[in-house]
Amino acid sequence: MVFKCRNCGGNVVYEPARGHMYCPHCESLDSEDAVRGGSLTQCAVCGAPVEAGQYTSSSRCGHCGSYLVFDERVEGGYEPRWILPFYLNKEEAVEAMNREFGRRLFTPADFMSTKSLEKMEGRYVPFWLYDYQARYDFAGEGTVVRSWTSGDTEYVETSYYEVIRQMDVDFDKIPADASYEMTDDIMDLMEPYDYGALIDYAPKYMSGFYGEIYNQEAQELEGRAQAKARDASEELMRESLQGYTGMRPLRRDLNVQTRAANYALMPVWQYLYRYRGKTYAFHVNGQTGKVIGTMPVSQGKVLAYGASVFVIVAAICRLALNFLEIL
Amino acid sequence: MGEYFRCFKWLYIILAAVLLLFGFLSAGHMLIASLSHHERTNTECVTAERVFDYGDVLTDREERKLRRLIARREKQTGCDIVLVTLQESLKDYARGIDPYVDYDEFVRIYAEQFYETNGFGYDKPNGDGVILVDNWYREDDGRIYTWLCTTGRAKTEYSDADVDHLLDNVYRYVERNPYRAYKTYVNDFYHDMMGLHIIRLNISGLLPWIAGAVAAAAFVLCNWRSKRGGSTVTAVTYVEGRKPEFRVREDRFLRKSVMRHKIQTSSGSGGSGGGHSGGGGGGSHGGGGHSR
Repeated sequence: MVFKCRNCGGNVVYEPARGHMYCPHCESLDSEDAVRGGSLTQCAVCGAPVEAGQYTSSSRCGHCGSYLVFDERVEGGYEPRWILPFYLNKEEAVEAMNREFGRRLFTPADFMSTKSLEKMEGRYVPFWLYDYQARYDFAGEGTVVRSWTSGDTEYVETSYYEVIRQMDVDFDKIPADASYEMTDDIMDLMEPYDYGALIDYAPKYMSGFYGEIYNQEAQELEGRAQAKARDASEELMRESLQGYTGMRPLRRDLNVQTRAANYALMPVWQYLYRYRGKTYAFHVNGQTGKVIGTMPVSQGKVLAYGASVFVIVAAICRLALNFLEIL
Repeated sequence: MGEYFRCFKWLYIILAAVLLLFGFLSAGHMLIASLSHHERTNTECVTAERVFDYGDVLTDREERKLRRLIARREKQTGCDIVLVTLQESLKDYARGIDPYVDYDEFVRIYAEQFYETNGFGYDKPNGDGVILVDNWYREDDGRIYTWLCTTGRAKTEYSDADVDHLLDNVYRYVERNPYRAYKTYVNDFYHDMMGLHIIRLNISGLLPWIAGAVAAAAFVLCNWRSKRGGSTVTAVTYVEGRKPEFRVREDRFLRKSVMRHKIQTSSGSGGSGGGHSGGGGGGSHGGGGHSR
């Protein structure tokens, strides 16, 4: 599938800054016509060969530059329930990167260069969103210790309480990314997304971006999401037990039931930077602008800056000492 | 490059300010020194020599350079500046004069005798001047002794702390580079006599390098941050209504227990510090010594 402009025939893409489909050729808004055709191996516009990866659902033709959405990867069982359209465009994602890394001294010289940042890509990452109902039954013995001194005697008073909690928690859309290519830790740090902007899936939002289908079934990732639900339940229970000096659990039963698992696409800007033979991945949440990544450190800069500080401070101290000696 | 200068702008400004200040001060100091010219009035001194390298620790060239430096500094300070190096035991010599003198006093006796015998003194025999005797010979107690003897105006204007400071500076270099050590002696004496005497520092020459290294390490550590991104998810992020629902929430009091114990009081005793004091003699010479 490709989205063509009904005014000029150009490739229409989703433009986050405008929140509409946009034709970069004639600058028309919402002028798209979805044209089916093409395949996983052939461009729907120019017929040139296309190399779609095993999980690719949308890509760009290397020959004519058109953004293609592969029909068979967004329909039937692969059709996402929801999509969170990009809110930040590329310039805003670059700006978020710049805010975070632009002022760091030891970044390699070309790390934030326009040429390097050109390689930044917008990607829709497949996620499973899980709904859970957790029931937590807790009983324990809590102690509150109070101490005071009177004369030369210290008193320690311990009060004992029977503590009972029965807590219900409904979790809504706990995310777990279903992409092998994206590191789980990084995708977890991308959270949270504002689900208020989540809308029913429509393929047009993928035009202009790269996309993937889920690489793993919902059952396979259940463990990750359920662990998040359990951790959150434990924390909520701990919060409800605050005020006690000590707590001896007598019964703790946490039961987490899956209510639903839905497939959704989330927006991520990805910037892959190669430095000294190693690839450094940076990700910007396409909705919130949160930046995740580990910056490479230029040893040359560390040496140059460190040596400068060393020489300048030593010179200032030497001069100051000479100055004081004369006095 | 722009980022580099932006980063170090203030450090360079401070460096330039200190450099400028030091330049002005040095210029002023040099101006005062050049205006300060004392006429030597002692005509009874038996020698024009000031560098007596009996210990043979200096090269001929180093001796010549020291002589030139001393000649200039003598005119500026109005004091004779004498250097003697030895490589011999002074035990018999010193005990021949004072049988009960201790090891560290051998060089003092030699220095005073040497100064007086030669009639040193810028204004008169045994007058304004200073002599450094550095005996490289290890006496029976295994130590090498050095003495700085001040006379006349040098004695009046040079305190014990000044002598210690100067000898510390000499000892900083003497083993590695005797010429530098003796040059330091002449120049420090000149600075001390010409200076304002407001501040007296006794700081290792390594300090600027240590300060530079510490500052560089701190700078690199502070700017090393390479990671970005922490978790911003809380326990209630995915909870409907942002809070859990408690069907039962009970805290029932069961019992209470009270324990008591006597507080042990302990008495301690304070220590006392030590100290030392020294006194000066009432002779015509002042000064002090160091050993290594």
